[in-house]
Amino acid sequence: MKRLSFYFGIGLACLARPAFAQQREMILPVPQSAYSQAVKIKGGTLVFLSGVGPADEKGVLAAPGDFPGQVRATWENMRRVLAKAGGSVDDIVTMTVYTTERRWGEIFTDMRKEVFKTGYPSSAFMEARKLKTPGALLEIQAIAVLKD
Amino acid sequence: MECWSMKIATLLLPICLLTITGVSSGQDFKKEFVDPMPQDSRSAAVKVKGGTMLFLAGHTASLPQGNAEHGNFEAQFKRVFDKINTTLSQAGATFDDIVTMSVFLTDLRYIPEFNKLSKEIFKKGFPAVTFVEVSHLARPQLIMEIQPIAVIP
Repeated sequence: MKRLSFYFGIGLACLARPAFAQQREMILPVPQSAYSQAVKIKGGTLVFLSGVGPADEKGVLAAPGDFPGQVRATWENMRRVLAKAGGSVDDIVTMTVYTTERRWGEIFTDMRKEVFKTGYPSSAFMEARKLKTPGALLEIQAIAVLKD
Repeated sequence: MECWSMKIATLLLPICLLTITGVSSGQDFKKEFVDPMPQDSRSAAVKVKGGTMLFLAGHTASLPQGNAEHGNFEAQFKRVFDKINTTLSQAGATFDDIVTMSVFLTDLRYIPEFNKLSKEIFKKGFPAVTFVEVSHLARPQLIMEIQPIAVIP
């Protein structure tokens, strides 16, 4: 009888779907610029985002000519898209930041410190000649990994 | 009684093994287009669980001899996607497996034409797309470079 319940126990354990905890490790964080050199992650659901900029859902540009204002609007939009996918900005593992003027890099990284509270994603920052939304000063292309 | 329990165990164990291998061999693949925008030929995001990832190089209309396909935007678009298709099929993937792509253009005024031609490529839902205008690509004749990521079920 003992053996029967033992095998039955194994059976039940097998039928329950394995829920492995997600392992996430920030490699060589650079806190002064709010990014990590790499993010190592296992498990989870991937979310590939289209470029997110400072224009709202209707395509109306926020804060024309105001870089910090556009950064705030971009993060608001990023939060909205990620929420629709069932995640949050903390799930972002990497991002490519395109800006129309690279001298804004420091403002951007300073403001990024307020966005990420549980570790910094990896990131690349570069100057583009032009972005899709007319008048946009930045656009962020991100990849997130959601916990299961 | 002992005999009974062994019979149940031998029945249960294969079922258990099947369940475990079924979970890990990709039968659990899930894909979701988040906030699709067909008028823009893209989705705000693409969510995937499981599958095999394929990271493609930036593809251009450059020919093996070193020259780029001359002609209009449409000719380069078709040439680039032909090459992407060759790469994808080498890995056992198709256009429908593309989840995101970075599109580098020397002139963003090509976007409407790009979106129109994209509708012929993606039939089961649009990937996430990021457009960026750059001053130069690898060769003077090139007007676009596309860098996709695919996830194969």
